[in-house]
Amino acid sequence: MGFIMDGIDAEAYDRQYSDRQLMRRIGRYFRPQVGRVVLITGMIVLNALMDMVLPVLISQGIDEITGNQATTAINTLVFLILAATVLSWGFNFVRQWYTARSVGDVVLQLRSDAFTAVMSRDMSFYDEFPSGKIVSRVTSDTQDFSNVVTLTLNLISQVLLVILIVGYLFSINARLTWLALAMAPLIVGAALAFRRVARRTTQQAQRLLATVNANVQETISGISVAKNFRQEQTVYDEFTDVNEQAYQVQVRQGFVFSAIFPILVFIAGLGTAVIVYFGGTQALDGSITPGDWFLFVQAMSLFWFPLTGIASFWSQFQLGLASSERVFALIDAEARVVQIDNQPTPPLDGRIEFRNVHFRYTEQEQVLNGFNLTIEAGETIALVGHTGAGKSSLGRLIARFYEFQGGQLLVDGHDVRCFDLDSYRRQLGIVPQSPFLFTGTVADNIRYARPEATDTDVRQVAQSIGHGDWLETLPQGLDTAVGEGGRGLSMGQRQLIALARVLLQDPAILILDEATASVDPLAEAQIQEGLETVLTERTAVIIAHRLSTIKHADRIIVLQQGEIIEEGSHASLMARRGHYADLYDAYFRHQSPDYEVA
Amino acid sequence: MAAQIALPKTEFRVESAPTYNQTSPIRWVVSHLARYKLLLAAFFVGMTVTNIFNAAIPRQIGAAFGVVAGETATDAAASAVPDPYYAIVLITLTLVGLAVGRFFCDALASFSMEMVAKRLERDGRDELYLNLLGKSQTFHNQQRVGDIMARAANDVRFVNEMMMPGFSLLYDSMMAIFIPILFIGFIDPRLLLAPLTFCFFYYFAVRLYMRQLEPVSEQVRTRFGDMNATLNEAVTGIEVVKAASQDKQELGKFLRDARLYRDAFVKEGEVQARYLPTLLIGIAIAGGFLQAVYLYNLGEISIGDLIAFMGLMWVLRWPAFSSFFTFYLVQMGLAGAGRILELLQAKTELDENAAGHVAPMRGELVFENVSFRHFDNGRDLLHNISFTARPGETIAIVGQTGSGKTTLTKLVNRTYDVTGGRISIDGRDIRDWNMHSLRSQISIIEQDIFLFSRSVAENIAFGLGQQVSREDIIRAAKEAQAHQFIMNFKDGYDTIVGERGVTLSGGQRQRIAIARALLTDPRILILDDATSAVDSATEDEIQKAIKRILEGRTTLLITHRLSQIRRADRVLLIRQGEIVAQGTHHELMATSDLYQRIFARYDI
Repeated sequence: MGFIMDGIDAEAYDRQYSDRQLMRRIGRYFRPQVGRVVLITGMIVLNALMDMVLPVLISQGIDEITGNQATTAINTLVFLILAATVLSWGFNFVRQWYTARSVGDVVLQLRSDAFTAVMSRDMSFYDEFPSGKIVSRVTSDTQDFSNVVTLTLNLISQVLLVILIVGYLFSINARLTWLALAMAPLIVGAALAFRRVARRTTQQAQRLLATVNANVQETISGISVAKNFRQEQTVYDEFTDVNEQAYQVQVRQGFVFSAIFPILVFIAGLGTAVIVYFGGTQALDGSITPGDWFLFVQAMSLFWFPLTGIASFWSQFQLGLASSERVFALIDAEARVVQIDNQPTPPLDGRIEFRNVHFRYTEQEQVLNGFNLTIEAGETIALVGHTGAGKSSLGRLIARFYEFQGGQLLVDGHDVRCFDLDSYRRQLGIVPQSPFLFTGTVADNIRYARPEATDTDVRQVAQSIGHGDWLETLPQGLDTAVGEGGRGLSMGQRQLIALARVLLQDPAILILDEATASVDPLAEAQIQEGLETVLTERTAVIIAHRLSTIKHADRIIVLQQGEIIEEGSHASLMARRGHYADLYDAYFRHQSPDYEVA
Repeated sequence: MAAQIALPKTEFRVESAPTYNQTSPIRWVVSHLARYKLLLAAFFVGMTVTNIFNAAIPRQIGAAFGVVAGETATDAAASAVPDPYYAIVLITLTLVGLAVGRFFCDALASFSMEMVAKRLERDGRDELYLNLLGKSQTFHNQQRVGDIMARAANDVRFVNEMMMPGFSLLYDSMMAIFIPILFIGFIDPRLLLAPLTFCFFYYFAVRLYMRQLEPVSEQVRTRFGDMNATLNEAVTGIEVVKAASQDKQELGKFLRDARLYRDAFVKEGEVQARYLPTLLIGIAIAGGFLQAVYLYNLGEISIGDLIAFMGLMWVLRWPAFSSFFTFYLVQMGLAGAGRILELLQAKTELDENAAGHVAPMRGELVFENVSFRHFDNGRDLLHNISFTARPGETIAIVGQTGSGKTTLTKLVNRTYDVTGGRISIDGRDIRDWNMHSLRSQISIIEQDIFLFSRSVAENIAFGLGQQVSREDIIRAAKEAQAHQFIMNFKDGYDTIVGERGVTLSGGQRQRIAIARALLTDPRILILDDATSAVDSATEDEIQKAIKRILEGRTTLLITHRLSQIRRADRVLLIRQGEIVAQGTHHELMATSDLYQRIFARYDI
C-alpha cells in the first residue's frame, strides 16, 4: 500500500497525539454537558432495548403459528411489536433532539478556543503559516469533528444493541451463538486492518485539500497581478497540477473507504450462510425451534450492520480524530511571545528602555545584538536607517508582536513581559505602512480600537487630520463602505484612516511605521501640523524614510545593522556631517528638480 | 465567429476546457456527469445486481425454512425435495454464491461512483477557478475572499458527497425498496398491501421531512460561509487586531457568527429528530406480519413464504433509515451546486475579445472625454479626462490622495471599463483590442505590490509564465537594481517571499516588481510610485531602476518626486477626478496655484 503513503508535508506545529490523549481531551469538552450526556445515554440504552425486542417478538410469533397456537396471542404480539416500534422511535427522537444541542455547544466551544488560540499567537506564527490553512482548521476541521461525535453516538447505540442481542441469543442456544460470533473477529479484524491506512490517507487528503484551498486563496488575493500580466494561463496550469494531485489522493482515500463496506458485507453474507446451514440442521433435529432459528438468521442482519458500522465508523472516526488533532495542534502551538505575568498595566508615562536586547526573526539573521536605547516619557524619537537596519523591529518589539531572545525591554521601569498584553496594547498605537482595513464603513474602521466612540468623536478625529480635506475624496465621507482589506481605497486613504484610528485610540505610546509614506505631499504637510500637537503629549517612535517628516523629532536615532551609529537633534546631526547628513542630502537631492540619475 | 458570440463573457478562456450547462444546479451536475458515462453505467449495473442478490437472500432463507417446516406441515415442497439435509446444503451454497456475487457487484459500483464523485469535485473546482480567473476586477473587488473560499472549498466538497455517498446510497435505497417489493409481489400479490401502504406514506413523510430540512440546511450553510468570512478577515488583519488590542471584539464577532451557526445546526437536528419513516416501517412490519399470519392460517401461503416475506420486509428497514441522510446529502450537494453556479453565472462586464485587434503596440495613448464611475448610482470618480501620450512619452500624474490618479491608470488595461468617452491606443478604441494582446503589452506596477508566496525568481518570471531562463531573470533583476539585495538572502533567487517566506521592504518589493515588468518588455507602462522616498539610502538604486524601465515606453507615472516630474514630458494635475491643469512642470509652477502649493516647499 506504499502508494497510499506518499508523503504530504504536515505543518510544523502538527504533533502526534495518542488516541487516548485525544479522547480524553474531547471528553473534557463534554463535561459541561453531563446532564444531557446522561439523558442521551439513557435514551440510547432504551432505544437499543426496543430494537432488540422487535425481532424477538417476531420470532415468538413464528413459534406460535408453527405450534398452531390460538390467534389471540398473535394479536397481543402484534400489539407489542407496534408498541416497541413506537417507543423505539420516541426514545430516538429525544436522543437526537438533545444530541444536536450538545454537539452544537461543544463545537461552539471548540471554535471559540481555536479562535482565541489563533488570536493569541504572535506575528511569527502568521509569518510562517498561510492564513488559508489557519482558517480551514478553525472552521472546517471543527465541522468534521462534529460529524464524528454524532457518528460515535450512533456507534455506541449499535454496539449496545449487539451486546443485548448476543446476550439473548446465548440464553437460547449457546452453540449457534458462538457460530454467529465467529464472524465477528473477522469483521472487526478487517475493520482494524483498514484503520491505519484510512487514517493516513485521510490526513493526506485533507492536507492536500488545504493546499488546493491555499492556492485558490492566493490567486484570488493576487488576481490583479495575474490580470495585469495576462498570466491567467500560468496560474491556471499551476492550479490544475495541485487540483489533480488532490484528486489522486482523494480517489485513493475513496477506494480505501469504499472497499471496506463490500468486504464486510461479504463476511456477513458468509455468516448468514453458516447460520442457515447449522441452524437448519439443528432445526431438522428439533434441537431448536423454527422461531429461534429465524431469530438467529435475523440477528445476523441486526448483527453485521452495527459491526460494519464499526468499520465504516473507524474511517469516519479517524477522519474526525485527525480533524480534532489538527484543531488541538493549532490550540497547543507554542506561543513564542510569552508573558511571564499579567499585571494590569497602569496608565503609562511612556518611558521605554531597551537593555542589551538580542533579537532575530529566523535562525539565520540576527537583527539586534545587544541593543541599548532609552526613550524618555513624552519624547518623540525618529528612527532612520537603511532597509533592514532594524527600525521596524524595534517598533514590533515594543508592541510585543515578536519575542526577543535576550536582554530586557522596560516600559516605565517594568519588564514589558509582566504586563497583561491587552491592557498594555490598549495604551499603544501603531500605524503600519500598509494598514489593514476591515469590511464596514470608514467610520467603523476609525472606531475599531474604541468601539464605544461616538460619531462626534470619530468626526473630530477625522477633521483633525489635514483639516479633514481627505474626507472630501471619499464618495460618502465617513460612511463610505470599505471592502475587505481596504479594497476600493487608495493606499494614501488607507493610511489616513489608520492614522485616525490610532489617534482616536489616544495611546500613551505611538509608533508610526512609515505611516504616511503613501500620502501626497500636500496632505502630508497638513498631517504634520496635526501630528505635532498630538505628539507633544505622548511618547512617539517615528520610523520614516521621508526625512522631511522627522526634522522636528526631539531626537533622531540613526541605525545601521541593528546598532545606533548616530543620535541627536536634526541640527546637531547635520552639524556633525556624518551618516545622517549624507542621508539627508541624498534625500533632498532626489527631491530637487536638478537631480539627475547617474 | 457566431459560436464565439454565444459564449458568456470572460477575460480568460481555455480552448480545451469542457463546457457545462450552467442553467440550473441539476442540469449543471448532469452535464458534469455526462463526461463519465461508462463509470456511471458500471455503477448502475453493479448497484442493481447487488440489490437483486440482496433480495434473493431472504428468499433462500424462506426456502430453507420451508424445508425445515416441511417436516411437520404438509407441503408440496417437502415431497419435491427428497432429502432435507441435501436441500439445506444446496441453499447454503447458493447463499455463499450470492455473497460472492454481491461482493463483486458492490465493489464495482462503489469504486465507479467513488471515481465519478471525486472527478466531479475536481472538475467543479477547475471550472470555478477558470471562471474566477475570467471575471473582471470589478467583480473581484466586490467579493469577500472568505466567501469565495467557502464556495471553492466546501460547496465543491458537498457536490462530491452528493454523489458519494449521497446519490450512491439514494439509488441503493430506491433499488432496496423496488426489488424486495417486486419479490414480495411474486410470493403473493396480497402481501403487497403492507409494503405499498408503507411506500405511500413514506413518500409523503420524506417529502415533509425534506421541506422542513431545506430552509434549515440552507441556513446552516450560509451561516458557515459568514463565519468563515469573519474569521478570514480577522486572520488577515491580525496585525491591526493585535495593535488595537481588539482580540475581544474579534472574538465577539466570531462568536456571534459561530453561535448563529450553532443555532441553525440545532434547528437542523430538531428536524432530523422528527424523521418519520423509521416509525412507518415499524408499523408496516407489524401490519404485514399480522396479514401474513392471517393468510398462513387460511392456508393461502406456506411457512417458507411467510419467512421470506418477513425477511424482505426487514430489508425495507434499510431504505427507510437511509433516506434520513441520502436526500439530505443530495440536497446539500444541489444547494452547494446552486451556490457555485451563483458565482459561475455572475455576469462579468469584460470579455477577452478573442476576435479583437491583435497587433504590436506603438504606444500612442489617447484619453477622450473619459469618465468613470464604479456603480450606476455613484458619482463620477473621473470626469471628462482628455490627454494624449505619444509613443515613448512619460506623463506624470500628480494630485491629492484619493483624487483618482490610480483609478485613471486602471482604465488603460481595462481593469475597469470607461463609463463615458473613450480611450484608444494606436488609434483604436481599447475595447476593440484583443484582451490578451492589450494586457500583455501593458504593465502595471502597482503601489501596493502583491508578490506570490514563492521564490523571488518565480515572482520575477511570473509575467512570462516562468518561460524564461535564469540568466534573463538575473539580468532583469540587475537592471532593476534588485540583484544585490536578492543575493544577500541565504537562498538567493530561490528565497521564498510573501506570506510563507521572507518579508520584503517596500523598496525591495518595488524593485522586484520592476524586474518582473522589465522581463515582459511592455510598450505601455503604468508605474504607481506615490510611495515617495521609500528608502533614502536605496533611493539612487530605485531611481536608476525606474529610469531604466521608462526608457522607450509610453509611461503613466504617478509620483510626487520632483526629479521625476521635471523629466516628464507632461504633467497632469488631478483634483477630485478632473484634470485641473496640464503642461510641463515649469508651466504649471507658473500657472497653477494648487500645483505651487503642493510643490512650493520642495523648491529650495
